[in-house]
Amino acid sequence: MEKLTYRSIDEDVLRNMQAPTRTYYYLLALCFAGILLGAFCWGYMIATGIGVAGMKHPVFWGTFLINFVFWVGIAHSGTLISAILYLFRAPWRTAIARSAEAMTVFAVVTAGLFPFIHLGRVWIVYWILPYPNERNLWPNFQSPLVFDVIAISTYLTVSAMFWYTGLMPDLAVVRDKARGIRKKIYGALSLGWTGSHRRWNHYGKAYLLFAALATPLVISVHSVVSWDFALSIVPGWHSTIFAPYFVAGAIHSGLAMVLTLLIPMRKVFRFEHLITMNILENIAKTIIFTGLIVGYAYATEYFMAYYSGNVFERDTMIWRAIGNYSTAFWIMVVCNTLVPLLLFFKRVRTNLKRLFAISILVNVGMWYERFVIIISSAAHQFDPYSWTHYSPTWVEYGIMLGSFSLFGFLFLLFARFLPTVSMTEMKESLEPPRRNHRSRSISGTGEGSS
Amino acid sequence: MAGFDRRDFLKIMGLAGTTAAMGCSPESNRTLVPYISPPEDLVPGESTWYATTCRECPAGCGVLARNRDGRVIKLEGNPSHPVNEGKLCARGQAALHGLYNPDRYRQPMKKVRRNQWEPAQWDKARAALADRLTRIVNRGRGQRIAFISDLQTGTLGNLVHHWLSRMGAPPPWIYEPFSYEPLKEANRIAFGAAVLPHYHLHEADFLLSFGAGFLETWLSNVEHARSFARFRTPHEGRKNVFVHVGPRFSMTAANGDLWIPVAPGDEYLVALGILQLAVKHLTPDNISGKLGGQLLAAAREIPLEDILKRTGVEKNLLEKVALAFAQARTPLALAEGLSFTSPHSLETAVAANLLCLVREESMKAIDFGQPSSVQDCDSSRRMRELCTRMRRGSIELLLVHHANPAFFLPRSWEFEEALQEVPMVVSFNTAPDDTSRHAHWVLPTHTPLESWGDHVPRKGIRGLMQPVMGPVFHTRHLGDILLSVGRQVRGPHAFPAENFREVLRCAVQKAGEHEAPHVPAREFWQQSLRRGGIWPAREEPAKAPPHRTLSFSFQRAFRTQESPEGLHCTLFPTVQFFDGRGANRPWLQELPDPVSQVTWGVWVEIHPDTARKMGIAKGDLLRIQSPHGETHAPALPLPSVAPHTIAIPMGQGHEEFGRYAAIHYGHPLHLLSSRTDDRDGAMERQAFKVSLEKHGRTIPLANVDGSIYQHGRGFARAMPFREHQKGLAAGTRPHLYLPLPEGYDPAKDFYPPHDHVDYRWAMAIDLDRCVGCGACVVACNAENNVAIVGRDQMIKGRFMSWLRVQRYFEEDHSEMRFLPMPCQHCDNAPCESVCPVYAPHHSKEGLNNQVYNRCIGTRFCAQNCPYKVRRFNWFTFTRPEPLNWQLNPNVTVRQKGVMEKCSFCVQRIIEAKHRARDRNEKVQDGDFTTACAQTCPADAIIFGNLMDSRSRVRKLIEDPRTYQVLRELNTKPAVFYLKKLTQNPFEA
Repeated sequence: MEKLTYRSIDEDVLRNMQAPTRTYYYLLALCFAGILLGAFCWGYMIATGIGVAGMKHPVFWGTFLINFVFWVGIAHSGTLISAILYLFRAPWRTAIARSAEAMTVFAVVTAGLFPFIHLGRVWIVYWILPYPNERNLWPNFQSPLVFDVIAISTYLTVSAMFWYTGLMPDLAVVRDKARGIRKKIYGALSLGWTGSHRRWNHYGKAYLLFAALATPLVISVHSVVSWDFALSIVPGWHSTIFAPYFVAGAIHSGLAMVLTLLIPMRKVFRFEHLITMNILENIAKTIIFTGLIVGYAYATEYFMAYYSGNVFERDTMIWRAIGNYSTAFWIMVVCNTLVPLLLFFKRVRTNLKRLFAISILVNVGMWYERFVIIISSAAHQFDPYSWTHYSPTWVEYGIMLGSFSLFGFLFLLFARFLPTVSMTEMKESLEPPRRNHRSRSISGTGEGSS
Repeated sequence: MAGFDRRDFLKIMGLAGTTAAMGCSPESNRTLVPYISPPEDLVPGESTWYATTCRECPAGCGVLARNRDGRVIKLEGNPSHPVNEGKLCARGQAALHGLYNPDRYRQPMKKVRRNQWEPAQWDKARAALADRLTRIVNRGRGQRIAFISDLQTGTLGNLVHHWLSRMGAPPPWIYEPFSYEPLKEANRIAFGAAVLPHYHLHEADFLLSFGAGFLETWLSNVEHARSFARFRTPHEGRKNVFVHVGPRFSMTAANGDLWIPVAPGDEYLVALGILQLAVKHLTPDNISGKLGGQLLAAAREIPLEDILKRTGVEKNLLEKVALAFAQARTPLALAEGLSFTSPHSLETAVAANLLCLVREESMKAIDFGQPSSVQDCDSSRRMRELCTRMRRGSIELLLVHHANPAFFLPRSWEFEEALQEVPMVVSFNTAPDDTSRHAHWVLPTHTPLESWGDHVPRKGIRGLMQPVMGPVFHTRHLGDILLSVGRQVRGPHAFPAENFREVLRCAVQKAGEHEAPHVPAREFWQQSLRRGGIWPAREEPAKAPPHRTLSFSFQRAFRTQESPEGLHCTLFPTVQFFDGRGANRPWLQELPDPVSQVTWGVWVEIHPDTARKMGIAKGDLLRIQSPHGETHAPALPLPSVAPHTIAIPMGQGHEEFGRYAAIHYGHPLHLLSSRTDDRDGAMERQAFKVSLEKHGRTIPLANVDGSIYQHGRGFARAMPFREHQKGLAAGTRPHLYLPLPEGYDPAKDFYPPHDHVDYRWAMAIDLDRCVGCGACVVACNAENNVAIVGRDQMIKGRFMSWLRVQRYFEEDHSEMRFLPMPCQHCDNAPCESVCPVYAPHHSKEGLNNQVYNRCIGTRFCAQNCPYKVRRFNWFTFTRPEPLNWQLNPNVTVRQKGVMEKCSFCVQRIIEAKHRARDRNEKVQDGDFTTACAQTCPADAIIFGNLMDSRSRVRKLIEDPRTYQVLRELNTKPAVFYLKKLTQNPFEA
């Protein structure tokens, strides 16, 4: 492998911003078509009523909230990688932080749509906001949904700013190499970055500040999302384990999604020397860890149901495993807790194909986890007379496809128009060029450039 | 700007504004058109109540119709009426859907081709009928006219008789599918009078029913439900025992203390067995003498061993029932007496009478002084004769009024083919049905709610009918049609009366001369109309039958051989559809059947074990074949029948009955032959077994129950009667979390209690009184504009009713419990805390209000409601014109995306508070009640103010059997249930 230099990093990273291939356009068109389909389905649902989805009495929450939790979960490991690992000085995060953070922003954007889609009367959704109105009506701050609005919007704001702050010096690099209209656009986006010492100083402080701000959000946002469930009294939801359980699940799914995105990207953009196998291995090891936490949470739920002697809780748990949705339950258990154990084998976690397959399986498993939690509890609550069976309709599948397309679309645009690897941080990790050149190991990350 | 001045600008702005306004039309298009000269008794916003009589079945309950701004919006029972005392059943409530049925005939119709109709003018229609009549009458062939009508007892019946006689025609065929011929014949055999007496269930102290569904359709179900509630209200430390013998665990059976399952047709054997075993416990004066000898002879005709062997009833059990029977002072035995439900209905009816004959005291419960008018219906034999005459071509003109024989008569009768042979069929129907589709002319008549008239449900009671609103469509009263056609045919002098109303007024005033001689005629008429009819001031004691004797042989029935193959089959009428006439009422279609919980469709009840053995799953379409015919219906495995029996409901399978009766299969009467019984003239129901065959197709059942069991969750609870007595004696208080400040405990409650001002509304539901009929559900739908969602949405689980009567089987299938479940109006409501926009709102009076306008549809409230009483508007459900005329203007009509639920009839609360304020006082207990409580025939629902220490609800909840559903969740519900009281006097 050739040695990394400042120049080579610039060239490698900016290669993805050259004119794309035809395949790229096909993919972009495909995603756009998916978005259109999702938009049509949503429009149709607004025009006719939520009844075109499969929800029914008493499963009032269906795939919309499943997808909401799924996408919020995806968002989390982006911040984990970009902020927490930054604070913890884990050098292997450098190459993937930008993509992971982009994934966070796009996943939150996608997730944020679902509460809107879910609403029966989305046209008055602003009533949930504490806006001044002539009737002095405030939202109900007791409601976990209001927590949700605050948590998600905060998260979106902070992670977007964090992402953008990190982008700024790189945008300046792009600007410097661009011509014509591109130069103007990137010039505006880089907010007149000059690379002066002052700027680097401010940049470093801001970046650290946002990292520090984003870190607790990783824990808090998904905890709040879990309270949508835990603060209700529904058997299977009403549990104190939910916050850590959801956070671990979120990171689990997010790491898997990072692998799902990075492995193809690494190949397409030939980033093998930037995103090394070592990095992928580290992610894989973390997945083992989160998978074990998730598995422990599953076991705890069953233990609590057994030990509490609560008949409703116990029946719900038994029913999850053997009832209508037992297939979903066993997919969840196998994909989330058993499959990641394979990563203990070095042969598996260093094989890209296997790693990719496992990441997909974990994603599927995590989607089903939300399905099992939301649907099986709702369908099998206190009143046996009201037990039922729910299955999604084409509208819900359409919207779900639309959400994946939206995420893919945004990520494709990102891959084309923005530097997908942080050049700044990569350069920081290099040995600074000196006249009296001495062989030195690559130092840790530095704050700002010296 | 040149050439563009201020005026041009305004013009363009105006145009743009108009375009914008037209582009998005508002969701509701409201127009208010004031009267130029309003009717005298119409005050906008105020209801006017008109007394009339329900004609949904022959029981003839008194009705008060609530008219708001010219449209009737709700029916309630007439509290002073002796039949129903202010209560109505589901069918009575749904009479409005007959009135506002969108499929009604809107004007006269003339058939031009098969299945093709064109509207006609009334003059033309009347002329067509008059022409034909004139031709027939002038040729002296009046005998070739036939008139089929449903039961018409009063003045209209007399007019029809008179009119027919003036035409030289035979008297009308009074056709009611439920005409109880076997019961009449059995009463002739036992009591010497072929009548349908009036049963006072509450006079009895031991009740035996041989298949009689007296809480569902039998003779007069509302009256019987009230009477039954009195019968089994505990008094003097005991609770009367009711034993149901029959092939199906029906709603009536579910209200008994014991259900003895027998094969259809074997009920009489159980009765004989009871008598044989009771002999040793009876005092000699009951079974000595001539009558006693006759009874014993009849009972002993079949040896006890044979009875036990055939019926499979344990001797031990039968002994105990016999002992209870012998110890009772006034035992009463009832038999269904419908010939087609089970074989040997005459034997069953006679055997029941046999038991009634044992003690003279039983006659206190059977009143021969007030026989039911249903006995005036013609027997199936007379219908058979008409059918034969029609086939022979000797009927030239057939007039049909409100009767629907083409639906009810089995296919083997070939009634529809016979109709083809009649050159002219004229239907006086309100809506298209199976019979009127074969008519050549339809002269649509008013529905009973638009009509003048009177109805005599039983001797001594004459309910008056008056139009409770103007006619909805261009229809006429049958009386008016007959009068004007009669004048055209017979000349003006033949029918001098101006219109039917005058005829009725004269008849009532004439009755007044006798009833109240010193009241002026005009005033008597007004008074009677206002009261709703004419009846004696107080109930008279039961009149004895002409004689008590018995000579009857059960041998013939016992020796009938059934094929060993196949399954027994019982057909049953349902509380929703009666004989099928309710099938075009969407409220009734959407009311879950009390036992099967199925809506919008037909089903076959089959025991789960049998179904498993035969490889039949729920929804499998079955071909059910008898030796005489076949029918098709989807299977419903349910432990409501014995393993050897299947049960099929009647009422569905209309060929044509409007858009709501869209199930064209599954009419069980097609299993019957065309023969009539030679003894009672009823439709013969042979003792046959049916074979089941799978079509290989499944039809989804729109049932609303998830699990049939409670899974130990204590939703519908019961308590042994003895234990309750002990609790009462010991002064045990129930353990409740009251929805009042006293129900809060800082150790347990995070939030402080609510401060209620003056009122804390609450409800007590006595599960020991609730019979499960579902009247409350339909009343609630009517009062609160609850949407009808239709079969497809029902299958998807989107039913909207605010109140549901849950049905739970006990795990051993020995007991069935009903649990009406409205919103619990919790004081610590899980729905309130989770809504982000405060749409569920706790009022100062403890109501859990749902603010529709505030709701954004997150559905969190419903998800968090442990009682699952919240309903979401998955679509904007609409009602076709004129069904929407029924909407209650006091209640918001909900749009898509909004959550709704039981409001404790908040509009009634507000109205009551307004009235109380006018009197300068607080609302008193009993000033008003909710729609469900108002109509409950058994008075199982009591609504009131919990903060009023003298209110009935407050007193009721001190009973030791009071409990709150899911109390352990600490929701502090304001709906209190009183446990059902079980007793098993026959336990080993």
